[in-house]
Amino acid sequence: MPGMNSGVNVNDPTVVAAFKAALLHQGLIALLIFFVVGLVWLSLRAWLPSRAGAASASPGPAAPAPAEPAWRQVLRIGFGTLWLLDGILQAQPKMAIGLPSQVIGPTAASSPHWVQQVVNWAGTAWSYHPMQAGASAVWIQVGIGIWMIAASRGPLSRLVGLVSIGWGLVVWAFGESFGGIFAPGLTWLFGAPGAVLIYAIAGALIALPDRAWHSRRLGRAVLAGTGVFLVGMAILQAWPGRGFWQGTVQGQPGTLATMTSAMAPTPQPHVLSAWITAFTGFDEAHGFAVNLVAVVALSVTGAAFLSGRPRLIRPVLVCFTVLCLADWVLIEDFGFLGGLGTDPNSMIPMTLLAVAGFLALTRAPATAPEAAPATEPATAARWPSQWRDRVRPVALRQSAAAASIQSVASVGAIGLIVLGAAPMAASQASPVADTILAQAIAGSSNPVNFPAPAFSLTDQHGRSVTLASLRGKVVLLTFLDDTCSVDCPLIAQEFRQAGQLLAAESRHVELVAINYNPVNTQVSYIQAFDRQEGLNGIPNWLYLTGTTPQLRQVWRQYAVGPPEILPAGSMVGHGDYAFVLDQAGHMRQELNFDTGPGTQATKSSFAAELTDAARQLLAGK
Amino acid sequence: MRIAAPSAAAAGVLAAAVLAAAALIAGCGTAAPAAPGPAAEVTSSGAPFLATSVGTPSGSWAVAVMGGSAATHDNFWQLFVRPAGVSVWKLATPPGTPDNGGLVVAAGGPSVVTAFRPSQYLTYTPLTATSNGGQAWASTGPLDGVLANIPDALTAAPGAQRLLALLAGGTVELAAAPYASWKTIATQRSIAATPAGRHCGLQALTAVSFTLTGLPLVAGTCSHPGRAGVFADTGGTWDAVGPALPGALSRERVTVLRLIRTESQTVAVLAASPGQAASSGQAASLLGAWSADNGRHWTVSPVLPLGGAALASASFGATGTTAVITTTGRADVITAAGGQWRALPVPPPGTATLAVGPGGEIDALAVHRATLTVWQAPAGGSGWKLAQTISVPIQYGTSG
Repeated sequence: MPGMNSGVNVNDPTVVAAFKAALLHQGLIALLIFFVVGLVWLSLRAWLPSRAGAASASPGPAAPAPAEPAWRQVLRIGFGTLWLLDGILQAQPKMAIGLPSQVIGPTAASSPHWVQQVVNWAGTAWSYHPMQAGASAVWIQVGIGIWMIAASRGPLSRLVGLVSIGWGLVVWAFGESFGGIFAPGLTWLFGAPGAVLIYAIAGALIALPDRAWHSRRLGRAVLAGTGVFLVGMAILQAWPGRGFWQGTVQGQPGTLATMTSAMAPTPQPHVLSAWITAFTGFDEAHGFAVNLVAVVALSVTGAAFLSGRPRLIRPVLVCFTVLCLADWVLIEDFGFLGGLGTDPNSMIPMTLLAVAGFLALTRAPATAPEAAPATEPATAARWPSQWRDRVRPVALRQSAAAASIQSVASVGAIGLIVLGAAPMAASQASPVADTILAQAIAGSSNPVNFPAPAFSLTDQHGRSVTLASLRGKVVLLTFLDDTCSVDCPLIAQEFRQAGQLLAAESRHVELVAINYNPVNTQVSYIQAFDRQEGLNGIPNWLYLTGTTPQLRQVWRQYAVGPPEILPAGSMVGHGDYAFVLDQAGHMRQELNFDTGPGTQATKSSFAAELTDAARQLLAGK
Repeated sequence: MRIAAPSAAAAGVLAAAVLAAAALIAGCGTAAPAAPGPAAEVTSSGAPFLATSVGTPSGSWAVAVMGGSAATHDNFWQLFVRPAGVSVWKLATPPGTPDNGGLVVAAGGPSVVTAFRPSQYLTYTPLTATSNGGQAWASTGPLDGVLANIPDALTAAPGAQRLLALLAGGTVELAAAPYASWKTIATQRSIAATPAGRHCGLQALTAVSFTLTGLPLVAGTCSHPGRAGVFADTGGTWDAVGPALPGALSRERVTVLRLIRTESQTVAVLAASPGQAASSGQAASLLGAWSADNGRHWTVSPVLPLGGAALASASFGATGTTAVITTTGRADVITAAGGQWRALPVPPPGTATLAVGPGGEIDALAVHRATLTVWQAPAGGSGWKLAQTISVPIQYGTSG
């Protein structure tokens, strides 16, 4: 998938340092957000203590707030903690570059083409702006986690459920390739239907209104849905020909053993690796029995959940929890150890959901919800006047003063989410990749200021061109070997894209290349190169050549080193350079222009770097 | 989730929510547009079939691929020359241009033109010429297109004043020295539409050459059985000038695998097959054909059964002697018109191509990484004798 890989090393020190710096910077802002919100709250409480108390009492005969049921606490705190952990995992240094190529790409690899296209779109967006994307994932998920844990009731608590649904579905679709449900190897053992889809389901339950909290029907519905899913997974697990019934197939590990054997070597404590290796060996030897246990366990659990009978469900739930934990340790390998783990995978969320469903079925209080129906019509009737009252400045201040510390933390968490999403959203306004990619590959530019050496060469149309004739324009200059088969075409495209990015400003900029091949110096060659690269119609593009002695003189004057003619069929050896000349013919920047892997992201990044340099000079900087 | 967990979660992707927010905040910001970019990467490796040798009055030229993997562009095609009157080979690969896509040599008298098939992002074909046996090369051309991946995709007219090229898309182009301006003279489709092309049922073009008098020749695969597709441009019309085939081949489809011009005749190597395999080289049998009068009359060799193999390389001596090796490692040689196929000793391991010496002796050029080993089978000899080893200074990693 072309957009998935920016081509930059995941451990690139430039990117890693920039990512850490971005997180640190935004982390300080996050602390500031909490500080300011807290300060405002404390101040309002100090200034308006009595009114705050009055305000809290002002609605009059409001319904007693129902106690949050245990199932909801399990979901809210459990999934809030998971979001928090996921956000922390997103802060791994490799994540900015590595997530598209090492997590999303492999996940989507076995999915249908349309899934890959959808996922590639998001991967490309991430690859172009790895700093903003990486940081936004951190803060959005940390924000959701804090918010979910802090907000136990009221509109803010329900709202975080909706946010969890939204972000969960986004991650499920683009990050998990729809949980792999369209891929041929779908199995509950490996994480189907995708952990974050369960986050979204939990979000939906958290977002339910208070009146739905204490209904046993909710618990029955949750367990029944889970039961149907588990029975379906059991059928899929039992389906012949998918490689689960065999521990080994023609001497090779079966599907499950292949998966677990791939997990064992990842960096993790030896004891865990030893467990997985042992389980792999056991599965290879007793593949049929292992799969039989899985099929039976899923079927029985699913049937029990569907029955809706607490006495039957209770022991099954205990066994199911044990099964999930065993799968989590032995097959999913905790989900995040080693490699680029982004979450603890599906077994913990699955267990939380099942436990919450059971609690909803068995621990619904009989009395609390009764008051709600009586008060709600009256509340609804007063709603228009209440709404106007509530938005008055005084009322707002009073509400803020009366808010709980959980609400204040929720508001701070919302600030965190905005902190993460806003820079990424803003970066999407730019159609080009961040210059950090180019800097990671080739280093930063070197500012200089001296007269550029003069030259007189022939352009692609056979006309004589001197440096002096380009005075008054910013010159973006490079050296291109016209029969180079890798770097030079990439550099040419970077220059071409820079010209496009400059748009109307490009009439004040000349894109100039000087032939860097001492053998193929004819105009016919640079014309062929221009046609190859689609450069022949660009009015401000000049590809200059000359006799070999003329070219050697220019190479020497610009200190780019003479190209080395290598034997035995190699291309000419040369460096990759770019120079930025100002309108007075002064050299202002030298750029190492090693194109690196030449992905769309890096090409775009180099083009952005050139464009920035040209714009600085056009702005008179 | 983590690497290698195919269905585990990836809670951390940037996606629609942020992008939707982007749309709200910044209008319809988009990810980078698909840049036109360099043209699609050209398939890098020439088929092994490009390995060949040809004898000329000034010496013998041989092409072979050496080095490492074509997939990583560590394969480098090499040109070797054995000047007339000299018994040893020497490296003559033209410098300054990458040749990972393959080398194609066209000899026209004392001049030899070499084409570098493009690879990776390059999509045109650089040319270079020598008139002193490869001691010095001068850039010429280029050919603005991808030369076909076959050994007879480029040919020089007598005196090398004109070049004829077959491009990958089936276009035939002609240029006069210095070969910078090319003109399309035919396409596979246009020749197929001629009476001669229809009679042949022309399916693909496989070789270009010149007659002894300088008429362009084009050869291909006929879908109609028993017909050999060789066409000559006689003043703007393409006439069938292929050899009449033996009656035993009247039900077989025939492909002209090689078509070259020596000093005194045109030589063709044809493959005959009962089915589709003919066009892929998986032929049932080979035969040679020689014409000394622009294709009006041909002498056709006996059939050489291939036994399920394919032609791996064909080599030509200056007088038209033809030596072939097959994909199963079998080697045979036939002297010009009227001769019989003669089995050679099994070639040494790694033999890329054979070379026919002026005295009828056969060299086997064997390749292992950066080493070329020359083995010789004297005329009438029964085995191969080590004659020479050339260590080629391949610069690994310079073209990938």
